[in-house]
Amino acid sequence: LSPRLEIYQPDELAEALQILGKLGEGARVLAGGTALSIMLRQKLIGPTALVDIGRIPQLDGIEETDGGLTLGALTRHRAIERSEMIRARLPVLAEAFGLVGNVRVRNQATVGGVVAEADYASDPPTVLVGLDATIRTASLGRSRMHAAADFFRDYYTTALDPDEVIVSVEVPWTPDGLRCRYTKFVTRSAEDRPCLGVFAACRPMEHGRFADIRVVIGAATGRPQRFTDVEAPASGTDLADDICAAVAASYAARIEPIGDVRGSSSYRKEMISVMVRRTLASVRDAA
Amino acid sequence: MDAEQPHRGFAQFGEFAGMLDADERVRGALRYTADLRLPGMLEGRLVRSQMPHARLLRVDASRARQLSRVVVLTGADLAARLDLGQAYGPVFRDQPILAHDKVRFVGDPVAAVAAPDRDMAEEAADLIEIEYEELPAVFSFDDALRPDAPLVHTAPRLGATLADIIVHSHAGTNICNDFRLRKGDVDAGLAAADLVFEDTFSSPPVQHVPLETHACVAVVEAGQVTVWSSTQTPFNVRAQLAEIFQLPEAQVRVIVPPLGGGFGGKCYPKLEPVTAVLAQAAGRPVRLHLSRAEEFITVTKHGARIHLTTGVNRDGSIVARRSICHFNTGAYADIGPRLIKNGGYASAGPYAIPNVWIDSYAVYTNLPPAGAFRGYGVNQAAWAYETQMDLIAQRLGIDPVELRHRNLLRDGDSLMTGEPMRDAHLNELLQDAASWIGWGDPVTGDRRGHRRGKGVACIIKSTVTPSTSSASLAIDASGVIKVMTSSVEMGQGVATALARIAARHLAVPVGQIQVSTPDTSLTPYDQQTSSSRSTHSMGGALTLAATDLSQQLKRLAGDRLEAASEDLELGGGAVRVRGAPHRRVTFADLAKASPGGSAIGHGTLAVPGGLDAETGQGVASHHWHQAAGAAEVDVDLETGKVTVLRYRASVYAGQVINRVLAELQTEGNVAFGVGQALFEELIFDGGHLVNGNLSDYMIASINDLPEELAVALLEHPENQEVHGIGETSLPPFLAAVGNAVFHATGARVTQLPITPEKLLRLINGA
Repeated sequence: LSPRLEIYQPDELAEALQILGKLGEGARVLAGGTALSIMLRQKLIGPTALVDIGRIPQLDGIEETDGGLTLGALTRHRAIERSEMIRARLPVLAEAFGLVGNVRVRNQATVGGVVAEADYASDPPTVLVGLDATIRTASLGRSRMHAAADFFRDYYTTALDPDEVIVSVEVPWTPDGLRCRYTKFVTRSAEDRPCLGVFAACRPMEHGRFADIRVVIGAATGRPQRFTDVEAPASGTDLADDICAAVAASYAARIEPIGDVRGSSSYRKEMISVMVRRTLASVRDAA
Repeated sequence: MDAEQPHRGFAQFGEFAGMLDADERVRGALRYTADLRLPGMLEGRLVRSQMPHARLLRVDASRARQLSRVVVLTGADLAARLDLGQAYGPVFRDQPILAHDKVRFVGDPVAAVAAPDRDMAEEAADLIEIEYEELPAVFSFDDALRPDAPLVHTAPRLGATLADIIVHSHAGTNICNDFRLRKGDVDAGLAAADLVFEDTFSSPPVQHVPLETHACVAVVEAGQVTVWSSTQTPFNVRAQLAEIFQLPEAQVRVIVPPLGGGFGGKCYPKLEPVTAVLAQAAGRPVRLHLSRAEEFITVTKHGARIHLTTGVNRDGSIVARRSICHFNTGAYADIGPRLIKNGGYASAGPYAIPNVWIDSYAVYTNLPPAGAFRGYGVNQAAWAYETQMDLIAQRLGIDPVELRHRNLLRDGDSLMTGEPMRDAHLNELLQDAASWIGWGDPVTGDRRGHRRGKGVACIIKSTVTPSTSSASLAIDASGVIKVMTSSVEMGQGVATALARIAARHLAVPVGQIQVSTPDTSLTPYDQQTSSSRSTHSMGGALTLAATDLSQQLKRLAGDRLEAASEDLELGGGAVRVRGAPHRRVTFADLAKASPGGSAIGHGTLAVPGGLDAETGQGVASHHWHQAAGAAEVDVDLETGKVTVLRYRASVYAGQVINRVLAELQTEGNVAFGVGQALFEELIFDGGHLVNGNLSDYMIASINDLPEELAVALLEHPENQEVHGIGETSLPPFLAAVGNAVFHATGARVTQLPITPEKLLRLINGA
């Protein structure tokens, strides 16, 4: 007989870490369950135990600090989307979480879950990389901080160890004047996962010049892609259309995208050059 | 386990508010088949083939059989039973209850288990080992139709079937059936035409994606088979269960709780045979409820390839059309043998064409079975002929709306089947749609890198003919009024429509009418709930029943009131003397005084028809459903992404029974259309469905609907005829959007769906 799935529902983080430390690889952490339930149903994973962290209060909540924003792992997408504070101080983050799936999904899906799942066709990771977010994880007797850019490793693969839990995602306040945009490009229903996601940012300076050019590509490969050496030459320019196009062309040339039901590899490559150019231009022109 | 039965026989409706069970549906209180729990009930589960085409060398269920309280059946178990019919299907009995000798698609049920709960059923299912000898498989038309192609079926057995179905045998090939239509002299017509257009158009298989997946609960005891099923065709299911169990139909009972959507996917036996044989083997009730993944491979819309050769004169008149249609019916015929007929003759379109030749084929392949789907072949046909119509218009330099107006069927014109068109409103519908969209006005609002365009399309669609529906209407001694009907409520609002019709005839508030759900042992015969027929056919039968009942009530009242029947009227729940309303007797008192304690009216609406097997000439449809649509789209020229900005659905309704629901049905068609026009497609790799879940397969969301969506229900109440509108407005949408994209970009997609990638390649001339 196949083993039955055991479910643990700890009330404390320490208890959760102990259970995970004991169970090791066979256990999976359950938060909102939107991704995990699909993986279980499709038998993509076969855990022997689920550790439901949904009852641990210290993992929930949005906190505003001097340095930035701390999003507890259990924070729902919908809470980020609707937070007046986030909409005022980091609007691109609220927008990106508000683009995921549909409202029923967003009411359930958590920030820890979307980061741990690391689905390539997902919106928040791209924006978190673009905003230089860090991910705080914990295991028994150990706490770690990961730059988002390092945390996402490959398709459905992260730096998270099996005995670790994501505690929070910390997003620093952006430098004064930084403009950010996230473009979700879908090829099918409005509720589809992205065929391509593009984060772009720039900071206007004097004389129509821009600094802090950032471009991150999501949904094209195993993890969000940012090339600082491609961004750098655009810094200090006026981000004229041809410069946006050149940055876009470089990103398209560097990335070998996946092909899936949302678009072939070659189509995605073409869309990178269109969407990077458009997103950069829109962030340049944003009031 | 609680015994909770969703079937209540009659729904007790509160105050009428658009749809009688809307409140229950929205609150999740409505009980569907899947909600049924019977004492001692087991949970069923199917073990399915992982091969598209293979000989079954060994199905080893020995380990599963060792589990206690688990019932296991394999194809061999069933084959050993001489008292059991082995296969089902509405035309060919080609679908085994469980595969025995070979499997024909990935997902073909090979074994079935029943256990006290779902986990145990899954465990048992996982213990069954299947050994295959893989056979060459066919998926495409070209592969399936090669002379040396491996055969999906060698000799499918024809069963007793439905009145209008024409079968031509093609033994030794993968052609399941064909339909032929010969009108005039197509060779001469094409030879004489000024120009001949030859084009091929294709549509992919898609799925119905009903919110409620297929469910069935069966009990077999004491020589009686009872099933609760999410079916649109209770009487056909009854007949086939009787055939399988070799019982008189009177010993088979099919009860249909409300459905959570049907869209054609729940026609004809699906889960009932296997659930019933499991229940028989278990000696206990068994419930089978499909997962979403299983739903995707249970039935699909037919993928189709349609080749049209159309001869036109320079004035735009269509003089001849040869149409060669291939419909991929998958591994089992299901209703494909009929669908190719309806889709076949539909390919002539809503136009008066003197010379028509149609060959339409259902082709077996090693893909999941295709069956009825909202639009019933007309989606595929209209995508072809309405797309070609714009190609013709462009080449001739005639405005596409004008070209259609010149050719549309008018009263008295001869249809493709030779029957005369009557009650034609196509010009009026096209005029409405074109004028709403601002046809001929310059297109405005183009953004940089985007282009807008407009397109129109028109269709006619038949309704199943011949056709029979019966209803009765009863008033009992308590004054309770019941409509007894076998129409299936699947969210389309048929119960509401029938309640309104009864209420109107008896002059009582809608809320006083109870409407039954189907129970083949209690409610009168109905052919099926499909083909956009119920409001017309069942409504017609109910109207006759109401007339019968009114006459009985007046006769009974006439004696009491000493008044002549013609001086009496119905009102206020009573029969009263016209002009002297105080002289009255209530319905309840009349029922009480009547010999049976209740007064019952009966009505049957039966219409004749049928086509000649060799020429396709005759009567295809008692009346013709008609619609036009007009779309305005925006195309992003750099991504190929199409946004439908505005849409007008213009539908002939004859007489609207419930405006809210008729409009919602039409909006639902547009939602179906958005998905099928722009992105829906079942994708197979070696016969394996690769996007059989709702993350990889998308349907339209509310945010995909046109920003501006307008419905026009054209009425001509003087004709006293209700036209069903459940499907009519769907087929025009696909072609209207394709034509608008063509208008915007000059790029012509001929294979649905119009994905951004496909369109971009055409725009860029790659």
